[in-house]
Amino acid sequence: MSANLGSQQAQSRFLELRNIQKWFGGVHALRGIDLTLELGQAYHLLGENGCGKSTVIKIMSGAIAPSEGEIVLEGQSFSAMTPIQSLSAGIETVYQDLSLLPNLTVAENVALSEQLVSGNGRLGRVFNRSRLKETAQRALETVGLPTDRSFLNTTVSDLPLAARQLVAIARAIATSAKLVIMDEPTTSLTRREVDNLIRVVERLRQENVAVLFVTHKLDECYRIGGHAVVFRDGQCVATGPIENYTKKQLAELMTGRAIDSERYRTAQPSPDVLFSVDDLIAHGVDRMSFTLRKGEILGITGLADSGRNELAMAITGVAPARSGKMSLNGKVLDVRQPVDAIRQGIGYVPEDRLAEGLFLDKSILDNEIALVLTRLSNSFGVVDKQAGRSLAAKLSEQMRLNTKNLDLPVGALSGGNQQRVLIGRWLSIEPELLVLHGPTVGVDVGSKDTIYRAIQTLAEAGMGIIIVSDDLPELLQNTDRILVMNSGRLVAEFETEQASEDQLYQAMLTSKLETIQ
Amino acid sequence: MSASRVEELQQAASEKRGFSLGELVRRRPETITFALLVAICVAVAIANPAFLQPSTLIDIGRASVVMGLFALGVFIILAAGGIDVSFTAIAAFTMYSMTVLVQRYLPGLPIAVIIVMATAGGALLGVINGLLVHHLRVPSLIVTIGTQYLFRGFLLSFIGTVWIMSLPPQMGAFGRLPLLQFESANGATITLPFYFLVLPIAAVITWWILNRTLMGRAIFAVGGNANIASRLGYDLRKVHVFLFAYAGALAGLAGIIHVCANRQANPFDLVGTEINVIAAVVLGGAKITGGTGSVLGTILGVLLIVVINSVLVLVGIPSTWQRLVVGVFILLAAAFFVTRQRKK
Repeated sequence: MSANLGSQQAQSRFLELRNIQKWFGGVHALRGIDLTLELGQAYHLLGENGCGKSTVIKIMSGAIAPSEGEIVLEGQSFSAMTPIQSLSAGIETVYQDLSLLPNLTVAENVALSEQLVSGNGRLGRVFNRSRLKETAQRALETVGLPTDRSFLNTTVSDLPLAARQLVAIARAIATSAKLVIMDEPTTSLTRREVDNLIRVVERLRQENVAVLFVTHKLDECYRIGGHAVVFRDGQCVATGPIENYTKKQLAELMTGRAIDSERYRTAQPSPDVLFSVDDLIAHGVDRMSFTLRKGEILGITGLADSGRNELAMAITGVAPARSGKMSLNGKVLDVRQPVDAIRQGIGYVPEDRLAEGLFLDKSILDNEIALVLTRLSNSFGVVDKQAGRSLAAKLSEQMRLNTKNLDLPVGALSGGNQQRVLIGRWLSIEPELLVLHGPTVGVDVGSKDTIYRAIQTLAEAGMGIIIVSDDLPELLQNTDRILVMNSGRLVAEFETEQASEDQLYQAMLTSKLETIQ
Repeated sequence: MSASRVEELQQAASEKRGFSLGELVRRRPETITFALLVAICVAVAIANPAFLQPSTLIDIGRASVVMGLFALGVFIILAAGGIDVSFTAIAAFTMYSMTVLVQRYLPGLPIAVIIVMATAGGALLGVINGLLVHHLRVPSLIVTIGTQYLFRGFLLSFIGTVWIMSLPPQMGAFGRLPLLQFESANGATITLPFYFLVLPIAAVITWWILNRTLMGRAIFAVGGNANIASRLGYDLRKVHVFLFAYAGALAGLAGIIHVCANRQANPFDLVGTEINVIAAVVLGGAKITGGTGSVLGTILGVLLIVVINSVLVLVGIPSTWQRLVVGVFILLAAAFFVTRQRKK
């Protein structure tokens, strides 16, 4: 009996990493990782940006080879795997960038890999179109996407981001995967879509599939359950059932220092009104009115289609309002394009820092001073390098950037530091109102902490701050008031001190149901 | 997933089903090419009804073959996100070397073998391109500029520079072999040559490879994003080698047909016409950045360029104007495609 049990355990052991080392040039990215993944289990790979999580995933999926160590896959030993070896063994990865081919159709993206893998990567073959369609429909249905012909034939570049994320997940489960790796799969999903994803994961586990999550959203980890695997500086510092750890403990394990997950907000806003919005109508925004006081931090939340994003874009001129009145310090604003907002003292840190904000191959210096080049240049248009450098140094310090080298390209920084550079840039125009859109999306715990502290300092100095986010703990930790939007309208307002996550979530959803009925 | 989200997506999908010209053009940019082609044909036919004579149409067909074969090769490389400017050098190299080889050493070689050898020779030179592009990790434009000089330099330095006016008889005969023959109203014999068939056959094969085989999908996948394609298990080396070999094979075939049709082999020929071919492919709706386009569009693009080049004369527009017209069309079409995409 016991011998039988032992062999069962050996069978369920799917993938084992033994003393994996990886150097990138002189950087020791992985310092001896030992990790065992069993079938039917869920794992949460946790750690700050740059701790080696992505490197481990890439080694498992065959995208890169380890410098040293052994990979044991179903009892077979490898020193490195190719993508096709990893895929044929049943390891499917949903990368953070989704790895979708934008010019191919949904069906091809979901189901073509399965035929490629079943033929061991041979390309000189006619593919089976009816099987392609069936595989795609089955996988799309599981993740809750439409399965009709027109959706199957839609080009992926025509889909909204959330649908793309689900298509990427559908691809991973289209094959008979044994291990599904998901690198931050929920960044652009709404709560409901996340709920659905959690059901999909439950089903995969029942089908004896191992699931490995990489995420910064600890709440989701607890909801899914399973094992926590915590990385720090290229080493595995803890493994064990996630319910054995508190959030605070996990955060401390990840950062190696104590993190305060309590409220950051300490100061009181002044009673003077700084910014007011009356009857604002824009695409997706229906008659919004609210006010913001000096030094106040206001949170705006709602589901993805609630109009919260559109409101932020209307205020900042990215997608200008059709009608309504906005005034800052009693002065009526005229915002028709982003440059109008900038001139009148409104800064905007967009959600997608890579696409909308940063020049990755340019230096920290160039990125920080990008908005104030005119101010820094003399009458011949020549930029005063020295003034720029001292300004950038000041901003970096204000944002607590972890490097002093201003000539480093921004692409070399971690996500959290990139975000700090972006916020720093907006401080250069000395805005009176700063709109932050998802300020910590894809940012690790340690960086979040620094960003939050910086935001508080700005508010204390009298700046008005609006945080548009669906990260409810973030809003609860940082704001004075929270507005909940739905269908473009304001549906609830909370004093943050008296609000809870459940209340906010209820407000986001309930009004949704009412509108449907 | 919530029911509302699914409904939303389905609704969005059904909206797409409704007819919209803009949407059609965005999804099938070759509609514009077709419209331009029809517009020109109608205009020319009104100005000079002689245009509609079978002889003119057959001239257009004949003139499309070589350019069409080249264009299919350029298209398949463009689909994978690359670009090739060496195909004319490959064609010149294979056609001239084959002619010399047959004339001097193998006079009795059957025409079928000659064609197969030229095609294989082109494929071989293409493999060189493919390996260089893959292993040097240099943009294919640079690699093929290099190999264009290389192939052509090798041809002129080591194989010959003499214009061969009298072809081996079997090659000449192939160029004259009729597929269709009839007398026109004025008594002249009009011939649609047999070699015309090569273009539709090559087009169908290319379409089949691109749309029905995994290699074809891999080509578009690489054109969409090479890094991602490789991560998903597509072997980039195989794709690159196949791609350039296929384009090389088409170029070799085009070269030998060019010789047979013109009944002479000029080693200085063809090189310099690359831009014309690339223009045709881009006019057919393929994006220069890769990953899009269709075989039908490519053929329409070729017809458009050939029609402009051959029929504007019929309506009394001087031949120097052809370039002007082609230039305007390319800019118009490009502007149109781009604004359509932005509107999305």
